[in-house]
Formats: sequence, C-alpha cells, structure tokens
Amino acid sequence: MNKLMRPGRPLGFLVGLVVLAALGGALFSPPAARSQAADVLLNVLATGAKKLNIVIPHFTVAGGGDPQLGRSLSQVTARDLTFSSLFSVVSDVPPIPAGDPAALKAAFANFAAAGAHAGLQGLLTLRGDRAEIEMRLHDLTSPEFRLIGAKKLELPAAQARRLAHKVADEVVLQFTGEAGVADTKVAYVSQRPGSKELGMMDYDGASPTRVTSNNSINVSPVWSPDTRSLAFTSYMRGYPYLYRMFPFENRPVQVLAGFLGINTSPAFSPDGGSVALTLSRDGNPEVYVLNLTSGAFRRLTTHSGIDTEPTWSPTGREIAFVSERAGGAHIFVMDAEGANVRRLTQAGFNTQPRWSPKGDTIVFTSRQGNFDLWGIAPNGSSLRRLTAGPGNNEGASWAPNGRHLVFQSNRLAGAYQLFTMLSDGSEQQPLTRAPGEATSASWSPRLP
Amino acid sequence: MVHRRGSALLVVPVLVLSLFLVGCPKRPATTAASAPPPTGSPAPSTAAPSTTPTPGPGMTPSPAAPGTATPTTPPRPSEFRETDNLKDVFFDFDKYDIRASDAKVLDTNATWLKTNNDLVLIEGHCDERGTNEYNLALGERRAKATMNYLVGQGVQANRITIISYGKERPVCTEHSEACWTKNRRAHFLVKAR
Repeated sequence: MNKLMRPGRPLGFLVGLVVLAALGGALFSPPAARSQAADVLLNVLATGAKKLNIVIPHFTVAGGGDPQLGRSLSQVTARDLTFSSLFSVVSDVPPIPAGDPAALKAAFANFAAAGAHAGLQGLLTLRGDRAEIEMRLHDLTSPEFRLIGAKKLELPAAQARRLAHKVADEVVLQFTGEAGVADTKVAYVSQRPGSKELGMMDYDGASPTRVTSNNSINVSPVWSPDTRSLAFTSYMRGYPYLYRMFPFENRPVQVLAGFLGINTSPAFSPDGGSVALTLSRDGNPEVYVLNLTSGAFRRLTTHSGIDTEPTWSPTGREIAFVSERAGGAHIFVMDAEGANVRRLTQAGFNTQPRWSPKGDTIVFTSRQGNFDLWGIAPNGSSLRRLTAGPGNNEGASWAPNGRHLVFQSNRLAGAYQLFTMLSDGSEQQPLTRAPGEATSASWSPRLP
Repeated sequence: MVHRRGSALLVVPVLVLSLFLVGCPKRPATTAASAPPPTGSPAPSTAAPSTTPTPGPGMTPSPAAPGTATPTTPPRPSEFRETDNLKDVFFDFDKYDIRASDAKVLDTNATWLKTNNDLVLIEGHCDERGTNEYNLALGERRAKATMNYLVGQGVQANRITIISYGKERPVCTEHSEACWTKNRRAHFLVKAR
C-alpha cells in the first residue's frame, strides 16, 4: 500500500531526502528508527518526481462570502509552494464544497490518477473583522485520500493574505518538519534621488511599505530575531548613528549607538540580546558587541586596519567579519569574545559575510572583476560560486530556513533590484521592480 | 485535528528592555521604556513610527581618546559651508593613504587653515563599488588619514571633525572609472567659531 504520508510524524525527512537527491545526487542512509520512511522515498523517486505534486483548488468560502477571495488566496498559497521549490503545484481548480467527502473524492480523483501526491482544501470563513482558514491536506496516493493534516488559522481580515502564506508554511511543515518561509518580510533600502529610505514588503514582493520617511540616508537594515524591530544606520541627525525602530508598533526610534565616527553594520545575536556593530570611536573601525540589556559595549577586534560587517553563527558562539588585516578585504571568523581569529577567504576582495541560519555556510560577496556571491563552509572548505553575473550580484540575506537567499543585482538595465535564489545559486528570479533602486535586503525571521 | 508540529514555533521572547535605565551616565533617559508584551501577530504595517529618536545605550559620545582633543559634541554637518580655499584630495581604489601629489594639496590646505580659526569638517567618500558597510569604514579611514596629515602639519586636532559618507554621496554618478576616481575623495567644509 502506498503510504506517502503519515500523520503526526514529520515526513519532512523524506522530502528532505528527495530534495537532497534532486539537488546533490547524494542519498543518505535513513536512520534505522525511521526505516519505514524509505518506502515513501522510493515510491516518490520511482515516479521520477523531483518534487511532490500537489493540487490546490480555490479555497472554499463559507457563508456567502466572496468566492474571489478564496480564489486569490489559494493562488497566493500556490505561488508560495512553487517558490519553495519542494512542490510542483496545480492550481486554478474550482473549489470543493465543504463537508462533502464524495465531492472531494470526485474532485481529487483525476489529479490522483495523473500523479498528484497531495491535495489541499482550504475553507475560508469571514467573521466580522476576523478571517479564518481551515486547511485540510489529503494524501492522494492513499485509496481513501486520507486526511493527513488539518489546522485552523486565524488573523484579522485585513491580513488575510498572511493566512494564505501561513497555509503554505503549514504544508511545508507537514512534509519537511520545518515550516516554510512565506509568512516573512523583507526589509530593504529604497533609493530615490536625494535620499535612501527603508522599506519592507512581504517576502514575495507584495505590499511594499515605507518604514522611514526622514529624507536622509538610511542604510543596513537588519531584523531582530523576534521580527519586531529593525536596526539600521541613519544620517537623520547628521552623523551616521545606529538606530532601532519598531515598524509594526507606534514606538519612537531608539538610538543604539551615537559615538563620534561611524556607528554601522548591525547584526542581532541569535538570542536577540546583543547587537554586533562597527564603531570607530577608538580610532578606526572595529567590531564591538552592544549588550541591549546593560547598554555595555564590548570591543572584539584590535587592529589598525578596517574590521567591520559582523555576522553571528546561529549558535551565537562565533562571529564572521570582514578585515583588511591580511591586506585587501577578507572574511575572518572569531569566537564571540573576539579570540581565536581565523582567516576564511584567500583570494579576491571579499565582504558582506552572512552566516546561514543552519550554520553550515557563510555566503559572501567577492569582487573578481564584477561582484558575485559565493559560499564557504565555516571551516574554510567547500568554497563555491553561487552567481556568475550578469551584472553585479551582492548583499545576500538568508531566509530563516537557510534554503533561500535574497540579494541585489544590477543585471537588468543597470539599476539595482532585489532577486531571490536557492542556496546553491539555482532558481534566480526577480523580486522587486521598484522605482529607483532597491538594495540591502534583510529577510526577516518567521512572523509570530 | 491539529498535528504535532515538527519544528519549533516562533516563540517571541518577552523582551524587557532596560536600555534606557543603564549605560547612559551623562544623559539619563527621560523615558523609561519596557516593551509591551508580544501581541501574537504584528499589526498591518500602518503604524507610523515616530521619527524623533530617543536616547539609547550608546547616545553619550565617547570620551575623546588621549591625545586627540576632538570636540565631544561636534556641530551638525549642515552647519558647515563650502569653501574654495580647501581643495579635495583623492584616493586609489580600496586605499586610504595620502598620495604624494595630494600631500601637496593638503600642505596648501594646512597653510590656509593656519591663517584662520575656523572649524573644519572632513568628509570621507568612496566610489559606488562594494558594500555600504565596508565603504562607510573606508570613508572613515580616508577622512581620518586626511585629518592626521593636517594635524601633522600643525593644524589643531580640536578644530577638525570627520564624517564618513561611504558611497552614499557621490559627486559623479556614472558607472565608470572616470567617475569612480572623482568619488574616492576627502572633501572639506568650514564653519566659523
């Protein structure tokens, strides 16, 4: 019997194997405790599928609501799952009536016969200013199209689009054991003549919103791990000070560091309790850590050249940074106390290190002629090129799953816009077509 | 039914921010703030944040380093004005050392500065290539190197303020070496005391 999915146990492991097989051609041996899983893996592979096939009919709208909303939200979910690269999605299918098993079976039967592995039914209800979706995930490889996952999700109706993202993230969770990254934001710098303001948008480019409006230069936005605040450098007071603001709350902007010289390049520690940053208050740019509770600054680097652009390992135990101590700009790693400095890159002009939330890769920008994105393991092995033009490709930021990256490129018409890709450099695609330029992306953690 | 989730929910830590209570000896906070409890989901992004910054932990300018009598609260950059008496100097790509030909320019600048008592703002600039963050550091080094040269020529350090604009304020916006050469510069502004 085909057992594609079993409730309660993360099937993610299986899909992970499928994906690994697809991306790297390498198969791990499944741990003995999960050896049952191999059936499913072999089953999927036997079909020749690199991705799981899922059919997503328009969401069913209860109580006489506008069917158009169910249709548009189902398409948001469909695009999210396509973007995940884990699924091959069939959508734009009429909605399935609620509470009608026969209709459901009839609706999914042809897709099952055509090779669909899963079917997603969404039941949308609007109650006053609240919107609720009940998502029901079915195994189309089982004879009865067994229900393998169901969940109710609720948000204010004004945020209904987020519900569609949350449904997608839940589907990814069911299959991979880790939620998707659709319910996230991307903060960025929007450049217009005379100013650089911070903006943010949904991860898919929808709903762009201004975050600052001070007609000054604002750069280097980074999200806090709780997704409530952004740290950034601004000239709003004339000099480049480091600030923190709360884009979802009506709270004043805070000054995090306002020393003489530069106050730049913030990076929140994984626990959110500290910010690594660059200060030149002691004579030249050095990396410090600001403890957000005590307000104390701790200096980590001591070198006469430039040290900047810190990025934390996901454990918080190490920090990668840029230093010119070896001549040129190179990526170095030190422990979070500033000791045990080791050099990672050997050739080129290397900046913008960003440590993967999974810990296994540091992506960075290397100038060898043009600027392109590269990856390297924290131990210095596995150096690999992720982009090779066109144009310059710079400033990567990781999605919270460590599988996707957002970056800036001037490949189209010379103006910088944001693009996304998978962490191996594949599936590069445009994200923004903003007026002026869009740069300096920071992909948020998952929203609460 | 609700399935057991295979991965961690995003737990929002309750951040009690004592940012304003400590670490700010000279300018004590006027507002003690603690974060409101997490709301569970962010509001739609309509809340207009105030643009008036409040003091945070690092608001107090650092004491001047020994030997450099830098003013602790420099005037705003907008208070300085352009002058024809001080000429720009230029830098090689990713470099901040003063070139021999530019040293002569700085000698002339120093001579003029010693004829008056104006305050000086030295802006460090970079070309458009590379990251905002690295270029902010590089511009800082260029301004600092320029300042150090002038101080070596007898200009009082406490007259000089430096600011890095990194790559943020180019004088030339074409994407060419001819343009980049013009942008890798230290620029001077003055302000009467």
